[in-house]
Amino acid sequence: MKDVAIIGVGLHPWGKFPDKPWTAMAKDAIEEAMKDAGVSWKDIGFIVSGSQLWGGRKGIYSGTYTEEVMGNRGIPVVNVNNACATGGTMLTVAAMAVASGAAEMVLAVSSDKSAKGFFPALPVYHEEPVPSDDTLRWNLGLPNPVYWALEMRKRMAKFGDTEEHLAKVKVMLSKHGKLNPKARYQREFSVEEVLASAMVTDPLRLYEICATSDGAGAAILCSKEKAKQFTTKPIEIIASALGSPLYGDPTARIPVVSINPKPGVPVISESWVAAHRAYDEAGVGPDDIDFVELPDNSAWHVLQYFETMDFCKEGEACACLDRGDMAIGGRIPVCPSGGFSSFGEATMAQGFAQLYEMVLQLRGVCGDRQVQGAKVGMSEVYGAAGNNAAVILKK
Amino acid sequence: MAENKQVLIGENLFDMSEGKPSLIVTHCKSCGTYFFPKSFTCHNPECVGKDVETTNLSRQGKVENYSVMNYPPPTPFVTQEPYEPIVCAAVEFPEGITIIGMMEGVTAEQVKIGMDVEVTVGTIYTKKTGDEVIAWKFKAV
Repeated sequence: MKDVAIIGVGLHPWGKFPDKPWTAMAKDAIEEAMKDAGVSWKDIGFIVSGSQLWGGRKGIYSGTYTEEVMGNRGIPVVNVNNACATGGTMLTVAAMAVASGAAEMVLAVSSDKSAKGFFPALPVYHEEPVPSDDTLRWNLGLPNPVYWALEMRKRMAKFGDTEEHLAKVKVMLSKHGKLNPKARYQREFSVEEVLASAMVTDPLRLYEICATSDGAGAAILCSKEKAKQFTTKPIEIIASALGSPLYGDPTARIPVVSINPKPGVPVISESWVAAHRAYDEAGVGPDDIDFVELPDNSAWHVLQYFETMDFCKEGEACACLDRGDMAIGGRIPVCPSGGFSSFGEATMAQGFAQLYEMVLQLRGVCGDRQVQGAKVGMSEVYGAAGNNAAVILKK
Repeated sequence: MAENKQVLIGENLFDMSEGKPSLIVTHCKSCGTYFFPKSFTCHNPECVGKDVETTNLSRQGKVENYSVMNYPPPTPFVTQEPYEPIVCAAVEFPEGITIIGMMEGVTAEQVKIGMDVEVTVGTIYTKKTGDEVIAWKFKAV
């Protein structure tokens, strides 16, 4: 991505807000982002919005409705859905709109109210002669965390990762999340407490799988040149890369019931592709990254992504965890925001919770959870069906 | 009272005609890859022929990994009531394809990586009408 900057960010606190419409949450996030940028609604020339899974027609065309809430001005709207990788995808589309010259100032916004507990799925109106993978897994009782548990079981057999390591991941993330006023869960957990929580899908326990939340986030993008009019500290998008799987991926990705593993193809290949594409695009490597907001949908994700993003060699993530590499103050702090573990998933919006944290960290305004000297931050979101996006920001 | 019927989880998934159940797969004659459920094409991007046929997969494989799902997921997931923990496994077949399914006749303590299993067919839940829904399962041999 060439010469695109973020000049403002906003984030609605995360939790459960049954009495507040998602459009009102979106409005709060947009107003915070516009205030942060020093711009007004009339400055916005393009909208990219995260399209919701569970909000019906209004949710699918979320950006169109959000424009109406803020006041119709005939602004071009693109509604984007790449599953839980929607946040990173939105940023990519928004940055492309700036880089192409389609608009001078772009708003990217996502507000989501996730379904409670295990995610259900959308109705299928035209079943095919051979049942879809989703239809099969709904009948076989295979919700998302089962897929993560299957992968974690492989790691335990191959690398000797233990149940204690999984618990330690949650403890590490909770230490970060307790310092974040926008997080839903702001308290520290102990290893004993995590190990005493319900075994949901062996070997993953309740506190090792992220909750589902309501949340909203927004960002204002413009060219690096234009950003100078608004701030002395623009945050540059040096990579915003999308990924999809490689044939022969050994991972059972949601929602498949079969895989065709081929030698030499990396685990979660869609994530490997996006991360490496981002490094190439930015011209930096893992050693240049000061902190990472990775998609900690479960404790397995943290261990796997630390390796997939090349912060250590395959099989060494637990050793890094044990050494304190992933903690704030460590070699490469993981999710200084507290991650989805502390926020909960708000599927389409969660990439923007990461983005908000990255911008604040790079501005150096994170107080007790500040990663000292942070200059370059990276994030990655993980979506069902092989959707993926990775972002690298630089101050 | 009428006898409860058995209904399939879906069409075109398993073949019972030989007496013992086999999974129905697509075999690509051009590149040798197998797909389940069956598909109208080969998905290998390197394959140029994409000459596919329908066939049955071999009946035995090995448990590659497993999990035990201890809580019932919400609709549209459907599970047996009252809910019993589901032992599910990813099973590697000699043809190079790995297939996920429920295990039958093993507890969480008994299932092991590397366990030899065969394909079977059994009830995965009973509908409110009393009809039993059947799907492929794996059983230790």
